[in-house]
Amino acid sequence: MQIGLFIPCYIDQFYPKVGIATLELLEKLGLEVYYPSEQTCCGQPLANSGAEDEAIQIYNKFVRIFSKFDYVVSPSGSCVYHVRENYNILPQTDEVNRVRQNTFELCEFIVDILKTDDLKIVFPHKVGVHQSCHGLRGLKLGTPSELIMEHYSKVHRLLKNAKGIEIINLDRKDECCGFGGTFSIFQPDISVKMGKDRLDDHKRNGAEVITATDMSCLMHLEGIARRQKREVKFMHIAEILNSNRL
Amino acid sequence: MTNHAHRAGRFLKNEERAAWHDKTLWMIRQKRDKMALDVPGWEELREQASQIKRHSLSKLNDYLVQFEEQAINNGAQIHWASTAGRLNEIVYRIIKENHASKVVKSKSMLTEECGLNPFLEKKGVKIIDTDLGERIIQLKQEPPSHIVMPAIHVKKEEISELFHQKLHSEKGNYDPTYLTATARLHLRQKFLEADVAITGVNFAIAENGAIVVCTNEGNADMGVHAAPIQIHCMGIEKIIPRTSDLAVFIRLLARSATGQHITTYTSHYLKPKTSGQMHIVIVDNGRSELIGKEDYRDSLKCIRCGACMNTCPVYRRSGGHSYHYVIPGPIGSILAPHSNSKKYKDLPFASSLCGSCSDVCPVKINIHGQLYRWRQDLSQKGVLSPIKKSIMKISGKILTSTKMYDWSGRIARWCIEHFPRKLIYNRLNIWGKERELPEASRESFKQWYNKNYGEGGKNGQK
Amino acid sequence: MDRNKILLNIQRNKIKPVKLPEPFYSAEKGVNKVSLFKEILLQIGGDCIEVNTTEELNFLLHNNFKNATDLRRNKLLEKFPSSYSKESLEGLKTVILEGQFGVAENGSIWVNDSNFPNRLIPFISEELVLCLDSTQIVRNMHDAYFKINNAISGFGVFISGPSKTSDIEQHLVYGAHGAKKLVVILSHENILK
Repeated sequence: MQIGLFIPCYIDQFYPKVGIATLELLEKLGLEVYYPSEQTCCGQPLANSGAEDEAIQIYNKFVRIFSKFDYVVSPSGSCVYHVRENYNILPQTDEVNRVRQNTFELCEFIVDILKTDDLKIVFPHKVGVHQSCHGLRGLKLGTPSELIMEHYSKVHRLLKNAKGIEIINLDRKDECCGFGGTFSIFQPDISVKMGKDRLDDHKRNGAEVITATDMSCLMHLEGIARRQKREVKFMHIAEILNSNRL
Repeated sequence: MTNHAHRAGRFLKNEERAAWHDKTLWMIRQKRDKMALDVPGWEELREQASQIKRHSLSKLNDYLVQFEEQAINNGAQIHWASTAGRLNEIVYRIIKENHASKVVKSKSMLTEECGLNPFLEKKGVKIIDTDLGERIIQLKQEPPSHIVMPAIHVKKEEISELFHQKLHSEKGNYDPTYLTATARLHLRQKFLEADVAITGVNFAIAENGAIVVCTNEGNADMGVHAAPIQIHCMGIEKIIPRTSDLAVFIRLLARSATGQHITTYTSHYLKPKTSGQMHIVIVDNGRSELIGKEDYRDSLKCIRCGACMNTCPVYRRSGGHSYHYVIPGPIGSILAPHSNSKKYKDLPFASSLCGSCSDVCPVKINIHGQLYRWRQDLSQKGVLSPIKKSIMKISGKILTSTKMYDWSGRIARWCIEHFPRKLIYNRLNIWGKERELPEASRESFKQWYNKNYGEGGKNGQK
Repeated sequence: MDRNKILLNIQRNKIKPVKLPEPFYSAEKGVNKVSLFKEILLQIGGDCIEVNTTEELNFLLHNNFKNATDLRRNKLLEKFPSSYSKESLEGLKTVILEGQFGVAENGSIWVNDSNFPNRLIPFISEELVLCLDSTQIVRNMHDAYFKINNAISGFGVFISGPSKTSDIEQHLVYGAHGAKKLVVILSHENILK
């Protein structure tokens, strides 16, 4: 099994530690991981702004780089959702299909493909899980609060066995943080208000660390938290999962 | 700043009111959840509703003709209006032909959409909206801010003052029971005096020509049964095939809209009353065009419950008026650009695409998918700003070229690390207004990887 | 003209046929229809009085609703035909009607204009009393419409509790335009029959 590691553009530039944690974790799990350094971006920022036609060249580059791997794994729910869902506008060649079907977010890859959920994590902290929207509703990483169905959550499954962890309950389990890509720039007032409300929810319920499958959400929440000088820490799920004794 | 963003900013300035608005609508969303949990097979029911609507749209002509035949057999008069203007003219004609002058109207988003009230008022017809929320905003001379709770943005103190001014109620008495009783008395008079009662239509049944209207207040019935002439205005998409199909929608509607099992009154109008007239106006106003648009056709399934508004984190924090369209929120944002893409180009962007709306929609409209699709179509239509377009073109080039991407990232990080804070957090830095930028990292992941693994190194590049 | 324009435009934009799904059915097991009906009726602001015999019912009506206008009997129906003035109907304080059947899942009761030729009657009075046979309660709306069997008559309505509104800051107030109070007299007379 050969894994192609896709590191989203903003993690590559601003949060390399998340990429490093992802790589280390996958290697600890015994996988052969390759990082094609030609990669740039999945194209989502442009497509979400309406510039799908400009993004196509980026999509093609992505497919070209990653089609040779058995699986593409990425520490980002929204990028993976974008590839699986919105690359449908490309001509559906074998290459494109292969990439679309085999690109996974980190947690779902561990649970569904590696079929393991006990990573021997040690994490004695109160953790608030922010359920990023694209991962939750798009990739079905868990049950959204709107749907009436049996409850499950791949992220919680991976975390709950961690030694010492306490996962707090939120008042609004899966309300959007307000990042939304360029939404955060073009609708700044609502974006920030949504972020502040999320932070207040986590604070009210005692979170020491806030985690998520998407660093974009955390970048936005952390940006507000640091400006407001809040004490809470932010860690991408890969970093928590990597604090293990594997 | 786009239109919605600007108005939303203003809405948020009144922090207390914005917080109340958000909290109240979230509470209604929770009531909806509780209801849904209690209905065995809720998700199957949604799928059923979606399929019935899809089926109806695929055979719309047959069902409209069947409906017309049945309704005429029942003694109703059918009129067809291809545009908003035609609806208004038809209603006015009926009023004039019957020498009527006093009109009452129960909730109808369709008549809002067509501008019926201002049209009639210009012609000297006195028209009173009888739903309490609608009456409040009519007296305030404002548009509704929510399709089910039109006055959700108005505080009781304001209503008290309004009623004191216009209805001569006690000054300073803002007890909701007192205010409602005031409105009841005031509107009871209007019901008894009215010559014509206009209603909207929740569902129209093809198999028997029935019009179904759901209210909690009973104002549709008070109007329709007291006035000699009743006029029901319906969009073509309100048709469903059979009475048995109605069960599916009645079970979903109130639960999704307000968290009630059912509205107080679910009224079925088939035949005019003795010596009364029953008119039904079937309205197109762009709906038949929408059927032909595969990407957006499903928006015609909408049963106007408003659940998408209640769940939308953006709507809750910006209020209905920020959308500057007759129907606000997520469903409004996919309907509006169809009516005028230039005027409403900001609405598909008034969303973080979280997808909660699609999950609560009782008829499973893929609202967030359509919002995304509208963004592409508006861009291709050339409706978006040229500056935005060129930024996208440049970004496209940068992100396609590995070298340009790597260098842009390097430059950006260098600037964040070395530029003085004042320079970075200037007025142009919208992100930086209330957020810190991410901390500058010395090297990107790529640089770290190439350094530690190298080309052909530990794992090599493939 | 508009008619043809609209129908032609729909035809032009015609889409692939979509099958009408099979009627919905949900296997709700072990629902006690009468207790569920009562529970929800009370939740939504209605009142419920139970009687076991016709004698009990008459006694109740005679004592507790002596000033009510009883429209259950046909001869009184003649007094209020649809042509009767709305102003005189406006004076009605309490009206008693026969409910045809109830729906357990939402505490509603179906009445149609075979019960009351003047259609204003269920809405115009201050208080509405509906007499319901407890063996005539169905489980849910699917069963309800099946029972109606497309025989709606000229006008029919499901009434679920008293008239209400929350339009003033979401405060629940009863008696917006319709009846301020709804009393259901639930008769168990036919249970043993």
